[in-house]
Amino acid sequence: MGHPFLRDGVDFGDVILVLVIVVISFVLCLVATMLMVWFERKVVSRLQNRIGPNIAGPFGLFQTLADGIKLFFKEDLIPERADRKVFQLAPYLSLIPAFLMFTLVPIAGDFSNVSESGTAGTSTIAGREFLWQGADIPVGILFFLAMSSLGIYGIMLAGWSSGSKYPLLGSVRASAQAISYEAALGLSIAAVILVSGALSTNEIVQSQSGSLRQLNIVATGFVPFIVFLIAGTAELNRPPFDLVEAEQEIVGGYHTEYSSIRFALFFLAEFMNTVTMGGLIVTLFLGGPAPLFDLPLIDVMPTLGWFAGFLLFFGKLLIFLFIFVWFRATLPRLRYDQLMDLGWKALIPVSLLWLLILGGIRIAQNGDLGIVENTNANVAIVLVASLALGAVGWLLLRAAMDNAREERLEEAGFQLIAVPPQQLDGHADSSTSGASH
Amino acid sequence: MAQYLPLAALLVLAALFAFLSFVGSALLAPRRSTEQKSAPYECGIIPGREPPQRFPVRFYLVAMLFIVFDIEIVFLYPWAMVHGDVGLFGLIAVLIFSAMVFESFVYLISKGALDWGPLQINQRQSEMVDASRTATSTIRKVGLEGRYEHAPAKTAAASASDELDETASAA
Repeated sequence: MGHPFLRDGVDFGDVILVLVIVVISFVLCLVATMLMVWFERKVVSRLQNRIGPNIAGPFGLFQTLADGIKLFFKEDLIPERADRKVFQLAPYLSLIPAFLMFTLVPIAGDFSNVSESGTAGTSTIAGREFLWQGADIPVGILFFLAMSSLGIYGIMLAGWSSGSKYPLLGSVRASAQAISYEAALGLSIAAVILVSGALSTNEIVQSQSGSLRQLNIVATGFVPFIVFLIAGTAELNRPPFDLVEAEQEIVGGYHTEYSSIRFALFFLAEFMNTVTMGGLIVTLFLGGPAPLFDLPLIDVMPTLGWFAGFLLFFGKLLIFLFIFVWFRATLPRLRYDQLMDLGWKALIPVSLLWLLILGGIRIAQNGDLGIVENTNANVAIVLVASLALGAVGWLLLRAAMDNAREERLEEAGFQLIAVPPQQLDGHADSSTSGASH
Repeated sequence: MAQYLPLAALLVLAALFAFLSFVGSALLAPRRSTEQKSAPYECGIIPGREPPQRFPVRFYLVAMLFIVFDIEIVFLYPWAMVHGDVGLFGLIAVLIFSAMVFESFVYLISKGALDWGPLQINQRQSEMVDASRTATSTIRKVGLEGRYEHAPAKTAAASASDELDETASAA
């Protein structure tokens, strides 16, 4: 209490605890990224019938470390046309948000017991409570959205400051893609917030612990989960949405002109974001470190405590990291117009409609709708109304797309004329006669 | 609790990490820059043109549209948090608000603001494509010469195409 900077019962012990947590999460972040790079290379090579890294360390585990050390010894070039200051700033802007985003993910903890202060998943060391995550801030998931937007600045400025055409193209593609999918990402997160009633990641996990029905993937009705998975992959610029780095078209995208450790930092940030995104999907939709459902016979939580939470989280995370790699090995890259159409014309309307339906259903279940007495009847009314709403929206969108197409056709000098009927008949005649013989 | 302190500390640590990496690289890496190395990348040839300072206006358009949608989402978050308290009134308010945003969205699409890529014109069915063509009639299997048991007998499709040829020559 004596020190002016330490208020609200925070003393030096708390500060030291926070600093220890920060250092641990920093190291964890780097190690997780290192292992993710190895995991991706190993899995993708297995999927492509190759062996992958197997020289450095057991199973090639230290391959990333070896690559990192090598990059320190590589010449660091700044192109002559580059805007030197911005060029040097861009890696920081990409890396720092990646580190900060990782702090939001609860990686362990026993969410079945709630402590006196009302938070679950806490552990105690030397009489002080702490959570198994870097920082539990009240704004929680909004901070994630803010940081993922800041990360785009790193990419945008890297490409713009390089003074070269491929990086510029890569960076405008990247920023247009990222902001397009951020809207869908935000709307699917809104559905999670609606159901969980909380912004902080700890409370979101807490709201899901218990039964299978309380898991957000079930409670939000799968659609936001699928939208989040697609939009998250696009946000990460990972295949099949990797137009940003499409080698065949624009060399390496925004980091074409980067070499040595500057390139390594972009690479690190990218994989760090992949791990964080996987962790966030697990946190938002699959209950993070909380068990998926109550196991009546083998209840591991009391005996293993926080470590059981870590195992659960890690298992779930591994599934999504594998899915990201699997996407890369399986799916061909989208065209840019397909990418934009998917983001704007499919994901945004669907997630907006779904959010409204969810809100309507929950209000009907609370008994606030008041159209008829019976709650189930109210829910049914909401469902019928949302079907009608969806149909109207879909018809409007179709009409708009048809109109846009016709206008473009007219602009291009095409006139909408029907094919003369005789010509069609003649063609049909010749083909049928040929087949009948 | 000191909730934001870890973020500040991690920010410093991450910046320090990046900075020290650059210092390490500056100490360890060679510096033998040549004119060719520091030229803009162009697949090994000498770049003939100035790098473009402008890019298609559609990207700006997307950035502007994004702001509209981002603001909408920002307004939806508070409702998502307190939807239980505001009840039916809140739901109707959000519906009206969403309808307004959706209406502008429909307008944008009908004006072609979100159309990318070349115009897709309905392609006429080619006369070369025949309904009788199937995978078995068009795929030629290689390396089967001299193998009696696997030598493909004349398939129905192949004989049909022979017939077609005959009718064509007869005509």
